[in-house]
Amino acid sequence: MAGGRLKQAALPALGLRGKLILVALVLLVIPWAGYSYIKASEQLLREQQERQLTGAARAIAAALNDRPRLATLREKSSDGEAARAEVRALVTAVARTGLRIWVIDNQLQLIAVAGDIAGTTGPDPGATTFGGIERVVRAVLRPLLARWLDAPALPSEEFIPNDVVFGGREVERALDGAVSLKRRPGPGGSAPIVTVTHPVWIGETVAGVAIVEESTGANVSFRDRAIERLIAVTLIAFGAAALVLLLYASRISVRLRRLRDEAEQAIDSRGHVRELVTAEHARDEIGDLSRSFSLALTRLANYNAYLENLARRLEHELRTPIAVIRSSLDNLQLKPLPPDAAVYLDRAESGLQRLDMALTRMTEASRLEQAVRGTERERFDATAVVAGCVAGYAAAFPQSLFAAQLPQQPVMLSGAPDLYAQLLDKLAANAVDFAAAGSVIEIVLALRSTTAVLTVSNRGALLPEELRLFESMQSARRETGPDIHLGLGLYIVRLIAEFHHGRAIATNFADGSGVQFSVEIPTLIVD
Amino acid sequence: MPHSIAIIEDDPAIGANYADALTAHGYAVQLYADRQAALAGLSNRLPDLVLLDIGLAGEPDAGFALCRDLRSRSATLPIIFLTARDNEFDMVSGLRLGADDYVTKSVSLPHLLARIAALFRRAQIGAATTTAEDVLTRGALSIDLKRFAVAWREQPVDLTLTEFWLVHALARFPGHVKNRDQLMAEAHIVVDDSTITSHIKRMRRKFVAVDAMFDRIDTVYGMGYRWQADV
Repeated sequence: MAGGRLKQAALPALGLRGKLILVALVLLVIPWAGYSYIKASEQLLREQQERQLTGAARAIAAALNDRPRLATLREKSSDGEAARAEVRALVTAVARTGLRIWVIDNQLQLIAVAGDIAGTTGPDPGATTFGGIERVVRAVLRPLLARWLDAPALPSEEFIPNDVVFGGREVERALDGAVSLKRRPGPGGSAPIVTVTHPVWIGETVAGVAIVEESTGANVSFRDRAIERLIAVTLIAFGAAALVLLLYASRISVRLRRLRDEAEQAIDSRGHVRELVTAEHARDEIGDLSRSFSLALTRLANYNAYLENLARRLEHELRTPIAVIRSSLDNLQLKPLPPDAAVYLDRAESGLQRLDMALTRMTEASRLEQAVRGTERERFDATAVVAGCVAGYAAAFPQSLFAAQLPQQPVMLSGAPDLYAQLLDKLAANAVDFAAAGSVIEIVLALRSTTAVLTVSNRGALLPEELRLFESMQSARRETGPDIHLGLGLYIVRLIAEFHHGRAIATNFADGSGVQFSVEIPTLIVD
Repeated sequence: MPHSIAIIEDDPAIGANYADALTAHGYAVQLYADRQAALAGLSNRLPDLVLLDIGLAGEPDAGFALCRDLRSRSATLPIIFLTARDNEFDMVSGLRLGADDYVTKSVSLPHLLARIAALFRRAQIGAATTTAEDVLTRGALSIDLKRFAVAWREQPVDLTLTEFWLVHALARFPGHVKNRDQLMAEAHIVVDDSTITSHIKRMRRKFVAVDAMFDRIDTVYGMGYRWQADV
């Protein structure tokens, strides 16, 4: 399980939440579609404007066409003056703010000009549809839009743009009889200006040119506003969607995590089903998963219970025939037997003993658990227990060397001194089994703030990696004797440590020369 | 007249084997296979000793019920639980219900016979006077080896046979530490370590019931137990 966790951690952490936020990126289609739409609208508006301008130019030219007085325009006579006044009146009548009209004759002499292309505005720039968000978007976006979309600014407006009127190709083409249209950058960075030049005919000759100019400011302004609005809408939609998705993802994530935690805790290290997953009532897939987990665990728990019962019943069932055999053998021994029968009786007896031992071991783990759980707690001094035990080891393991290091003051624990001694016995026996010949087994009891740390260390073979020594039925030693060894020793250590609200830890020395087993148990507060 | 022993055991082979062995040793044996048969057979006359299985033909706790029943009829009738179960809970329950001893079926026949003989002696010599040689005295403790009785400060301490042997093993050489294996050997019992511990705890409690200041049974951690000598 630990390995699985590690592998998960190595993957980039992209939880459900992250994934759903990524999904929300689909919403970015909205601004793209919106932008295309705005572009199309702008194009439409532009074409309309151009048509209107062309229409206006044609109308002026039509009004001036075939007026014989036009031929006198350039004369300084009263006729010429009257003709100029007539043209001026006409031009002034048509021109308006934002629409400027020029009329020049075929000698490129200005005859009349009216109107003003400055001061054209689009919709009110202060008006917003989405309030604050749109205003913020506008403030951020305005400079960017200006850079991306607007034409580069010219230093200043010339009153009569020479390139238009004098020497401009449009005028030349108009004098040749063609209508033409041109866009040029607006003055001072403002919107581009559209110019339409239209010839004025007298008979078969071009007598002059009507030039109509209009700023595209209204269009640009419309476009900017639309883009701002679009971005505001997108942001709001994205934010709302992301928030909803985040909440939803969090909810799912919390439920899944709870399910995972419960599933992990449901089965303890010995494979017992400790507690069942609480089945959710939700009628979705996670609820389903939770229910099937719960069901699977219930079945597993039943099966475990059945197995445990089976072991217990098997033990009980087998003990009766063993008792039959034993009492039969005992009775047989009371009878007069041929002298060579004794050896077979002995063998039967020893076989029986091994069978009996195996049976006892079979249920030992669960009996130990019961025994430890049922033990009464009392206050005791761990120092005295350890001192007593260490004194006994010299006699019990004469071939091993022990070195003890104990604190001066008593270390009071709440628990069972017998169990604590049993714990040390198991650790000591384990150390004796694995210690290198002639090395010293160190037993240290130390008080670290409110924790009594009992450490048994020995030089010798290292612990195998990943071996869960403190679980039952785990043994690192090879079977050597006839005695069945099920690796319960260190499991007992853990059981007892847990009974004392502590924990057992096994580590190799950093330098690889030996192993160390520690048991940390919280102390009673000493007055 | 031979002592009569009632064996209440649902497994016919075991029952017959025990019956054979006991008969061979001169006891009169009656064998019952279930609770009803035992109640009927024992209704008129009680035997001198009862060997009782806990689980009887479909009734897992029939032995406990029988024990309670028999004990109510006679306070002195020796009762030995003989069972395939070896967990401590059953042992404690059995002894609390008034059984004198508790042995598992893995006990050997000679051991069982020795225990039966000991119980009979204790029951028989109850009233008889004991000679000085049969009494082991250690300070305020006196152990009557004939009656299997223990007294502390001249007050009787009501011990089971197992506990009697444990006290005897400890007090014979005061100050000497006896480990669990030695104690088990001397008390003729084969149980796991924690059972010795709980036997010792029960013994202490029984002594403390007689004398609140009792503290003679010492736990020597890592080694075993000892009877503290008088200072």
